[in-house]
Amino acid sequence: MWHDAFHFDSLVWDGPIAIYLFLLGISAGSATLSVLLRRQGAGSESGIIKATALLAPVSVILGLLILIFHLARPWTFWKLMFHYQFDSVMSMGVMLFQVYMAVLFAWLAVVFRAEIEALRRRLLVDKFAFVDGLIGWLARFERLLAPLLLLLAVLLGAYTGFLLSALKTYPMLNNPILPALFLVSGISSGVASTILLAVTLFREDGHSRGVSFVHRFERPIVAIELFLLLCFFTGLYFGGGQREAAMWAAIGGGFWSQVFWFGVIGLGILLPQLLGLVGSPAKAHQPARLVLICSLSLVGILLLRYFILYAGQMTVM
Amino acid sequence: MSTTRRDFMVGMSAGALILLTGAPRALANSMTIKGVRYGMIHDETACIGCTACMDACREVNQVPAGVARLQILRSGPVGEYPAQEYRFFRKSCQHCDNVPCVHVCPTGASHIRAEDGIVDINPDLCVGCRYCLAACPYQVRFINPVTRVADKCDFCRKTNLAVGKQPACVEACPTKALVFGNLDDPNSPIAKRLVQETTYRYKQFLGTSPKMYRVPKGEVKS
Repeated sequence: MWHDAFHFDSLVWDGPIAIYLFLLGISAGSATLSVLLRRQGAGSESGIIKATALLAPVSVILGLLILIFHLARPWTFWKLMFHYQFDSVMSMGVMLFQVYMAVLFAWLAVVFRAEIEALRRRLLVDKFAFVDGLIGWLARFERLLAPLLLLLAVLLGAYTGFLLSALKTYPMLNNPILPALFLVSGISSGVASTILLAVTLFREDGHSRGVSFVHRFERPIVAIELFLLLCFFTGLYFGGGQREAAMWAAIGGGFWSQVFWFGVIGLGILLPQLLGLVGSPAKAHQPARLVLICSLSLVGILLLRYFILYAGQMTVM
Repeated sequence: MSTTRRDFMVGMSAGALILLTGAPRALANSMTIKGVRYGMIHDETACIGCTACMDACREVNQVPAGVARLQILRSGPVGEYPAQEYRFFRKSCQHCDNVPCVHVCPTGASHIRAEDGIVDINPDLCVGCRYCLAACPYQVRFINPVTRVADKCDFCRKTNLAVGKQPACVEACPTKALVFGNLDDPNSPIAKRLVQETTYRYKQFLGTSPKMYRVPKGEVKS
């Protein structure tokens, strides 16, 4: 059962791609939330923004490395950056990555300018002093950088869906809901991953402004995610033919159907919500509790990527 | 002749639709430099499933073991003994005019040749991302284990066609079930057969406009 679930004739893209989609979701989600949190007046002191400074660049770079070494010819990856094709989603994604990373680093540099300057003084004394001036110059454009980063992060979150929905081979992936679903679930992974890192690594209080702000997104996002999943599968069901066949193959029984019902819905959505409901409200923001809930959500979101990727390739048009 | 307002509106809308979508696409498809647009017929009523075409393709194009540019898929038998028959289906590149694999390719390695309509791969540009393998609804592409780039049927463009011969599969077929030629030349054998015979194209509802035509044997299931 395990072997057949991961090896079948119509499978082209395997496991590493699911992890890549998951990592991009975290980057897009955490960047989106931090730009919004910053607009509320938060700065480099916030554990959520510190978590984003680590998560957003690291996950996107790690994701790209996974992608590059997943190519049949990894050392030719640079050709992607010199031969753009305007009707290829992947090629437009390569362009988006570069702009996104540039704007992300610029925005982070502005938000953490005081820390960067202090660090430079301590390590390099008076060398590279022009960096402070450069960041100071960038800071003048923060009102432009922030909305631009927000736009690029949202595009990146949706891009992971467009990448798969462009494939007319597979009726389940060739689905207009997919970019919206991946965007929303990416923001959900941003909520979980930033809170997780903030309360552990950065010892942020569970009641801090940043955690409370990000936490407010959780329930509406989960509700939208469930609604989009409903649209996703009813769309396939109403489509008939191979679309309907793809729906039954995915959630009507078998390995990937169990991954969906027990993993994505049970472990990733229902259990965290139940844990949020039981117990006194005073204990709701205890770090250990937050860590458990966020970890479960992240596992569910990773399983959603695996489920969509593998179950999506099981049925051919 | 009386025309109701309804008829008039339907007619106008259809006309507008053809003007906006249909006609320009059809025009673009036949825009080839020397008026050459290669296509093929697989006569499923003549095919006996001997797979001589598969062997010839592998030999002429040096296709490594474990992968294939061309497969003959057998299904059946259908009918009652002794009138039992098998069905044979050619699985290979359809050389679509509206090409899903070319649309997704991030480097332009996958392309459609303007001079003859052959869907081809530039191995220098291919990075091996497998996007085209996933995008092809006919599932005919593979990563060549030797060159590490995407590979598939190119109508023997670099081998037989280059020396003025017919593609290897066509030459090898003992029952003349394969016809290859220029679809845009009304006097070519393939064009003459296409105007006379009932043919179908696989998964045409996807809008791919394949240049692989098939003479059906029994019910067409796609």
